[in-house]
Amino acid sequence: MNPTEDIELRDREEDYININPLQTAGRTHPETRKAIDSYIDGYSVCDWCAGALCKMEKPPIAKFLEEASKFLGMNQSMLTNGCREAKYAILHAITNPGDPVVIDGNKHYTTYVACERARVKIYEVPNNGKPEYRINPEDYEKTFEQVKKESGKPAKLAILTHVDGSYGNVVDAKKVAGICKLHNVPFLLNTAYSSGRMPVDGKEIGADFIAASCHKGWAAGGGNIGLLSITENWVEKVFEHSGKYKVKPLEILGCSTRGSATMALMASFPRVKERVKHWSNEVENARYVVKQLEEVGIEKLGVRPVEHDVNFFESEILYKISETHKKKNFYLYNELKERGVIGIKAGLTRNFKFSTYGKTREQIEHLAWAFRDIVEKFG
Amino acid sequence: MTEETSALFEALFRLEEIREILRESAPKHNLNQEQKKKLKKEIEGIEKSLKQLEKLL
Repeated sequence: MNPTEDIELRDREEDYININPLQTAGRTHPETRKAIDSYIDGYSVCDWCAGALCKMEKPPIAKFLEEASKFLGMNQSMLTNGCREAKYAILHAITNPGDPVVIDGNKHYTTYVACERARVKIYEVPNNGKPEYRINPEDYEKTFEQVKKESGKPAKLAILTHVDGSYGNVVDAKKVAGICKLHNVPFLLNTAYSSGRMPVDGKEIGADFIAASCHKGWAAGGGNIGLLSITENWVEKVFEHSGKYKVKPLEILGCSTRGSATMALMASFPRVKERVKHWSNEVENARYVVKQLEEVGIEKLGVRPVEHDVNFFESEILYKISETHKKKNFYLYNELKERGVIGIKAGLTRNFKFSTYGKTREQIEHLAWAFRDIVEKFG
Repeated sequence: MTEETSALFEALFRLEEIREILRESAPKHNLNQEQKKKLKKEIEGIEKSLKQLEKLL
């Protein structure tokens, strides 16, 4: 392989309006890229290592973690290699193989896989199906009862996807937490599509654990990085240290993300704290685009009104165009790209999702125009 | 930090600011007056840093 020839330069953020839901809130700010430039080398955060990543004072990782915990309304936090690793850490720390664990039907696949890896018995709270795909908090109650009936013991953990990555449905996490408290079930909130975008207060919600994806929602590039934030009463169990290597936390195998991603997260944090205050603008932008698309027959699925930047669409009109367009079902990807929009999976026309997060108003209007122009030209 | 390394980072950081201008103005890159002013300032700063680096030649 020749890296200069074989690795394509990526210009999706500079030359296009990128609407890939995975990527919009992980897009870096200039100060984050500057930190990454400077800390690009392997183990770059370990110049002044004091024995453990999360205790490091130079760079001020320990101080950052204190601030991040406050920001999330939790007591202590650790850096993880991602949200999935944070979820698995909780599962590994507090469950045993065979224990019943309740998850939601809109979960990310990594929630399920983390449960499988932990060898627990999975019980799923279903969504209410098309068109809303809503998770009703009350259904956690029913599932807890089912767990008790079938396994003879209470659920060992409940996991909720605060906002799912398909429909952008925002679940009432406080209500789920309340039900968990009533049943004495520890509650893990997956905030991959919420924290860093919108205000999330674990104390207000009543979460025992919060898992965050910082390369997805906290504008931290430069690698993979997540956060695991917990309440004080779980510190001893979840943040248990090695018996032999006393400073090393077990669940992150001592130290997790040891390079530029950590610096990226620290550099992006001030922006993240600020941007969550403007969440209502993001929702307003999403509502504008959805309204514009619905006017030309591209229908939004999921809970209404629009409550998040990620939205899922169904469109017979865009599908019908694919039957006659010379590029077949790849036309939508190509026509959008020609109009400066990228991020919908190539080949999709009938069902697709996208995110409007972090765009300027001009870009939001351009995005809506691009879809309408395609429908008007070919539909 | 040596003057050369400082100049290198200064230039890289200013390029990141220009990159942000491209990101904010994608896909058309029709810059407004404020963006044009900022772009000019960053280019001038980069030129100054490059002059510092040229001293190594």
